[in-house]
Amino acid sequence: MEYKVEAHRIMSISLGKIYNSRVQRGGIKLHKNLLVSLVLRSARQVYLSDYYSGACLNAQSEREGNEWDITDSEREKFPPSATECDRVESTEEPQPNEQPEKEREYRENDDEVKSDQVDCTSTLQEQNQNSSLDSVAKVSSETPPESITEPKESPSDSAVAERDSTPEANGESHQPPKPYVCSNRKRSAEESESGDSPQKRTKVASSNAKEDEEAEEMDTSNVSNLITIFGSSFSGLLSKESAKPEAEAEDSGQICCDQMLKNLNPWSTAIVAF
Amino acid sequence: EAGVGGFYQNKKTFFSFFFILVCDPADVISTVEFNQTGEFLATGDKGGRVVIFQREPQGEYNVYSTFQSHEPEFDYLKSLEIEERINKIRWLPLHNPAHFLLATNDKTIKLWKVSERDKRAEGYNLRDEEGRLKDLSTVTTLQVPVLRPMDLLVEASPRRVFANAHAYHINSISVNSDCETYLSADDLRINLWNLNITDRSFNIVDLKPENMEDLSEVITVAEFHPHHCHLLAFSSSTGTTRLCDMRASALCDQHAKLFEEAADPSHRSFFSEIVSSVSDVKFSHSGRYLLTRDYLTVKVWDLNMENKPVETYQVHDYLRTKLCSLYESDCIFDKFECAWNGTDSVIMTGAYNNYFRMFDRASLRDVTLEASREVCKRRAVLQPRRVCVGKKQKETDVSVDSLDFRKKILHTAWHPKENIIAIAASNNLYIFQDRLTPNGHHNTPEIQSAPPKWQTQPNPPTY
Repeated sequence: MEYKVEAHRIMSISLGKIYNSRVQRGGIKLHKNLLVSLVLRSARQVYLSDYYSGACLNAQSEREGNEWDITDSEREKFPPSATECDRVESTEEPQPNEQPEKEREYRENDDEVKSDQVDCTSTLQEQNQNSSLDSVAKVSSETPPESITEPKESPSDSAVAERDSTPEANGESHQPPKPYVCSNRKRSAEESESGDSPQKRTKVASSNAKEDEEAEEMDTSNVSNLITIFGSSFSGLLSKESAKPEAEAEDSGQICCDQMLKNLNPWSTAIVAF
Repeated sequence: EAGVGGFYQNKKTFFSFFFILVCDPADVISTVEFNQTGEFLATGDKGGRVVIFQREPQGEYNVYSTFQSHEPEFDYLKSLEIEERINKIRWLPLHNPAHFLLATNDKTIKLWKVSERDKRAEGYNLRDEEGRLKDLSTVTTLQVPVLRPMDLLVEASPRRVFANAHAYHINSISVNSDCETYLSADDLRINLWNLNITDRSFNIVDLKPENMEDLSEVITVAEFHPHHCHLLAFSSSTGTTRLCDMRASALCDQHAKLFEEAADPSHRSFFSEIVSSVSDVKFSHSGRYLLTRDYLTVKVWDLNMENKPVETYQVHDYLRTKLCSLYESDCIFDKFECAWNGTDSVIMTGAYNNYFRMFDRASLRDVTLEASREVCKRRAVLQPRRVCVGKKQKETDVSVDSLDFRKKILHTAWHPKENIIAIAASNNLYIFQDRLTPNGHHNTPEIQSAPPKWQTQPNPPTY
């Protein structure tokens, strides 16, 4: 579904922004991070809405204070890794295209104005493509319960037609799915690549988590996932050195972002709480 | 360099402007504010400097004083750098030969006194003209020092420093009509200060939840009512604006009025919340209306009606389909300010591509003008702009896709009485003036033959 691709992309962008905010001059901007976390939540709901058979997306968003319940019920509804990997791996093709964007965001975090400039110029080029994505996202988020399947088909079709005409590499999403690689295995491979540092990073991250008053909410498995995702960001934050090459973070981010989905809420609120 | 700008709609002039371009090449301007008489215009920039302009008798604004208000600081406890950028400047309405203004960065508010010195004492007994101590054996007579005129010296000195009261980033300050107190607002709290007391402030609004995970909104702007010293308004990231009455209780978490418009379901998207976040709030001069600015619109609210605005103006609705890319580029987080004119009949706000918009409330006419060096040249006439979504209808139309989103006009100010506006575009300040003749008729636009000189920085004052 094209709207899922868009939702996934928005989530990746949002996570990038949250990461950037940690290294911005002047400290974390609470207002901006709150807004980004709201977008993240909306995108996540849309992204996962496919897993609700018969449940209406609008009802989900209107339910008050039940974010945690939703998360738990999601976990129950389908087996942990395999099915989810099946579903999400087809959306991973667009990821390579997003990496240059993410890398740009990661690298240009010293000067906000500068990063805005670069992103804006690239944005103008992508506007045509994005406007079609926007309309897809809009329709998907407001579909009424009864017709939840049908409207999703037609915007997807129209979006597909529009997408085909753009030369951007998003056309890769139409390729047959790549051979499935178990996300769990890949993630642990990432961790072993980092060698000793995960040990150190776990310790560092948990002290960070305590400062964020989220210690009781985040278990260490979440933390180690997140460390791997953001690569050197934690140690970089504390040592005040510039971020290490982001390629490693990008790859792991691509895989673990999906794994993260269910654990997203503690993280996004941890960002906000400071 | 100056030129006259004007435009006609139905053969009637709306405004005809000539401009004075004052270049401040050092830093991006972060706030612009006229004082209560309009004689002075203060700007703050990203580098912590304040530049004050004074209106000359001929009508032009020249640099009056420049000083460094805030320096970058480091919070050792949180390992955070505190930016020196001036977020807001507010003038104090004191009747005094000296001028006072409040300037704030993210954490600290300072009260500055700006005064003139045009006399100097001469004829001291113990010191010579250069200030060196005299040899006492040479002093045979006593003289009384006399005051002699000197070249005008403008001095700025910090009189009060209001620090350590905000855990979050300060976004607003507002002086109360009682001229004794003022408020400062950060993301979660609003504090009330006495202008003379720096070691104490009262917290009057606190939005911080018990559990930060439950955080759902932040304060974006706060302002006191222009006449009622007990009323204040603050807007939030959820798109609501609250009116609080300080007489009701010490802590004004319970609002007296809540101004909120139901969201349009047809506009629902991932970015609905961001787009509805209010970036500026301004009371009208009359005190009867509220002006709020969100990302795409500017709205006029009647204080007596909470459920919807009385007027809504689309600033750049063509951006509604571009929200995703504006999110990516962070442009969607831009906080535009808005302004009333002196009679509350016209509203102004900034946009992208160095455009700014004006809306006439009575006639419902609107205009888009551009503040840029390329346009504001000597002998150039300022033309209204039009952004087109599809095909260009006129040669002068600008396509949405060619808008430069790096050029944004966030800060604008309107003279309290006259039709003079100050527009900050990055590090440039533009001042536009209406060529209104005393009998009330607009001049036909004419090209000025003697442009005012470029303004360079004066000798920095001592303070």
